[in-house]
Amino acid sequence: MADQKSEVLQGTLDLMVLKTLFAMGPLHGFGIARRIEQVSDGVLDLNEGTVYTALLRLQQQGWIKSEWGTSENNRRARFYSVTRQGTKQLDREAENWERVAGVIEKVLRLERQG
Amino acid sequence: MQTLRTLWARLKGQAAQRQEDEALDEEIREHISLLEARYISQGMNARDASRAARRQFGNVTTLKEKQRALRGILSPSEWWHDVRFGARMLAKRPLSNAAVVVALALGIGMNAAVFTFVNALLLRPPQGVSETSKLIEVWLHNPKSGGVQSYFPFTFPDYVYYRDHTKSLEGLMAFDGDGTQAIWNRQGNGEILRGQLVSGNMFSLLGVNAAVGRTLVQDDDRLDNARQVIVLSYPFWKQKLNGDPNVAGKTIVLNGSAFTIAGVAPSGFTGLLVATSPDFWAPLTVQDRFSHDTSRMKEHNYWLIVAGKMRSAADRQAVQAEMHLLSRQAYFTHQSKNDPHSSTPVRHEELLDAMVYPLTLVPGPFRIYVGAFTGGLLAVFALVLLIACTNAASLLLARASGRAREMATRSALGAGRARLIRQMLVESLMLAGVSGASGIAIAGATSRLLIQLKPASIPLTLAIPMDWRVVLFTAAVSMATGIVFGLAPALRASAVKTAQVLKEESQTAGRKKARMRNVLVVAQMAACVVLLAGAALCVRSLMNANAIDAGFDTHHIALATLDAGSLGYPPEKVNDFYSRLLQRVQHLPGVTSASYAQFLPLGTSRISTSVGKQLIKESDGMPVDIFRVGPGLLHTMGMPLLRGRELTEKEANSEKPDAVIINQTLAEKLWPGEDAVGKRLALGDEKTMSEVVGIVKDGKYHTLGEGPISVVFLGKLPARRTLVVRTQGDSRALLDEVKHEIPVVDPLMAATDVQTIEEYMALPLFPARTVGWLLGASGLMAVVMTAIGLFGVIAYMVSQRTHEIGVRMALGAKRSDVLKLVIGQGILLTIIGLAIGLAAAFGSARLLSPLLYGIGANDPIIMSAVAVGLATIALLACYLPARKAMQVDPSIALRYE
Repeated sequence: MADQKSEVLQGTLDLMVLKTLFAMGPLHGFGIARRIEQVSDGVLDLNEGTVYTALLRLQQQGWIKSEWGTSENNRRARFYSVTRQGTKQLDREAENWERVAGVIEKVLRLERQG
Repeated sequence: MQTLRTLWARLKGQAAQRQEDEALDEEIREHISLLEARYISQGMNARDASRAARRQFGNVTTLKEKQRALRGILSPSEWWHDVRFGARMLAKRPLSNAAVVVALALGIGMNAAVFTFVNALLLRPPQGVSETSKLIEVWLHNPKSGGVQSYFPFTFPDYVYYRDHTKSLEGLMAFDGDGTQAIWNRQGNGEILRGQLVSGNMFSLLGVNAAVGRTLVQDDDRLDNARQVIVLSYPFWKQKLNGDPNVAGKTIVLNGSAFTIAGVAPSGFTGLLVATSPDFWAPLTVQDRFSHDTSRMKEHNYWLIVAGKMRSAADRQAVQAEMHLLSRQAYFTHQSKNDPHSSTPVRHEELLDAMVYPLTLVPGPFRIYVGAFTGGLLAVFALVLLIACTNAASLLLARASGRAREMATRSALGAGRARLIRQMLVESLMLAGVSGASGIAIAGATSRLLIQLKPASIPLTLAIPMDWRVVLFTAAVSMATGIVFGLAPALRASAVKTAQVLKEESQTAGRKKARMRNVLVVAQMAACVVLLAGAALCVRSLMNANAIDAGFDTHHIALATLDAGSLGYPPEKVNDFYSRLLQRVQHLPGVTSASYAQFLPLGTSRISTSVGKQLIKESDGMPVDIFRVGPGLLHTMGMPLLRGRELTEKEANSEKPDAVIINQTLAEKLWPGEDAVGKRLALGDEKTMSEVVGIVKDGKYHTLGEGPISVVFLGKLPARRTLVVRTQGDSRALLDEVKHEIPVVDPLMAATDVQTIEEYMALPLFPARTVGWLLGASGLMAVVMTAIGLFGVIAYMVSQRTHEIGVRMALGAKRSDVLKLVIGQGILLTIIGLAIGLAAAFGSARLLSPLLYGIGANDPIIMSAVAVGLATIALLACYLPARKAMQVDPSIALRYE
């Protein structure tokens, strides 16, 4: 099973978290981790703690903001949501990712010549 | 932008570390417990669920560390560690650190001292006034001319027009820019008070409430019903009236008229003008009780400084636009009202624009000059500070190479380069911090000293508080200083090639390091030449200025200014007072002669007119300065009469200028090569010709540095005049006696500016003195610091090369060779520095030339003296370490290490 899981590529977690928040509306860290797990169908090997590092980075850049709310357990939890700036950034990042992914895909398709 | 935002977020994060730590803990706990709950619901037992949850979450400690590093710049514990370590390293070398701190503290302190003046003059808002950001001042400006002369205060009719027509301002106030003096009849004895005439709305617009009674109100200041009321200043009320709580409503006699005291202003309030602290404020409309100038309420008399209060601080553009408009309207309104047969000469027929400035204590148009002067001083002391910085930098550089092993070890143990740089910077910032703190103390002392340079004759009281702006400035300068002198050594020290340093046993100082220090010494030397050349020029010029022949005696003369007209006496009584006073004074022991002058040359007052050989229109003649004098004044002042005689009693009192005395320059201009005595000339718009009865030697009249000026001395003294008394002995001892004589003649009279001629001369000498003192001090500091710097570098070089010198000597080098080696290097640095410095000095000395007396800005003697002097000092600074190098014992040097 282990060899079927993929590591999260450096720098992509931020984009995944941002997009998740954009799609789902305000979520706490646990909720984000669940959503990514669900979407990835258990393919990604995610250290869930790293979600919080991504959240902090995004917050420092002003792309998301946080508010205290109540979790399913009825305890205090921080809920994150995308800011307007974050929405704009998401477009840019997504576009960038697609470009890079496209290039990588093309490179991987290169046939051995000669 | 994004980087800035992240940095800001991190700075905020740094401040809230603990709080954020707790929040994160809470989040992690919650996350893990939710994971556990999920596993349990899937059928796991509690222990397995907990383990699985933790595995899925990852390493909590690593996460926390990472968050913390990401959140702030660094953790508090790391800061604390750096500071403690830095303190230990600094304590290891107390002596050299103390030297660095003293030099830096002097540099920072002098800058801060100058800044206290910048602050007091330009930055501090008026005290005791609310909503200063809404206040503006308005000046009339003649767009056709330039400089200070193109700005005018308001005339009274102009002020009224603007006040009544402005819509963008909440209100427009005005006050007398020159201030006013009054004689207070204090139980039969006269005492001089300083007052300021203000518009009735001023106190309410400024939000200044009376400490006792009430302030002035609009109703006090009506042209048709002027009330003789005044508001006293708090210090005057406290000191002269013993803080009488029932003072409001009482009467006080000023210049012979009774004024009702409305109230007392609050303690901090001194008005809106820098360096004035009036004893009382009176309404504008009672100005005729204080001034003999009958045209003040009319047009063409520009004497009111006008200030306004905006409705909101953002309105300045709109206010300026409206003022611009009002200036045109006022012009055309006055134009149509203007009586074509008016006898008052029209000073400005052109349209004057109105300019809006934010209100500070120095009036808007003059701010740029004050700013330029203080800015120049700051530049000079910044240079001193830079020299101190290079000193500190070369010391730290030397130390950095000594610490190469330490750095290498720390780097090998895993410290990143940024970490090492930070450690070094923390150390230099600590040095700078200590220097800054001492600098504040030095600034406090020197700024009080600097204010002593002000001539005593100017009745200015400048408050120079050390407020938060000064502290902030000093802190910023110290911080910048710390980074400037710390960065190069820090970068150098952190760029360690670990393996190399740890492997190598010998301590060969790298070539690069040596080059860096050499550059610093050269830069220091160059800066020092510039400062020293400037200082030497100014000191020499000060000596020249002291020696300049002002055209009158600058010793053995006592002066007192009197205004018998202010008591409302008729002309006969005024004349009677003055002649009786003169008689009494002439009979004082030691007095050789005494007389009156309207005012003396080289003062702040000046009257000019035109002169010609025929009675013609004013504009056709040549300009002359006129001085109204009494009989015998020239002799009393020690102005040498070249030909002819002085004015007689009768000529001096005559209404018409029948007889005049002219100076050499004018005589030469009007009658070149002829004897001017007996010739006749026409003055200004006088209706009759005047006969020249004497010719006096040329003197200085406006400034000490001026060229020849044409001057006419004539009679008809006004009521306000200066008593000039000449004595054989000490003029200072005479002052009290003169002061004592005045109330004997008339108990209600009081004199202002009772001073010796030496004190009087402080005013014309003021620019040369201030600049001479300040540059002299900065030059001296620069020399000492440069000598220490050079000494330090050479001494360090010797200590680094002890081994090499030992080898050389062992191989047969003579002591003289060693001397040559060591001194040679010092000399080379000195020569390069001198050359660069001299070039820069020749360039920048030109900026000083307007302040220099009797010496060219590029005086070759001064320049070569500076060069030779500095070279000698440099040689000495090199010689001491060189001597030590010569005494190296080869056997010890070789065994060393």
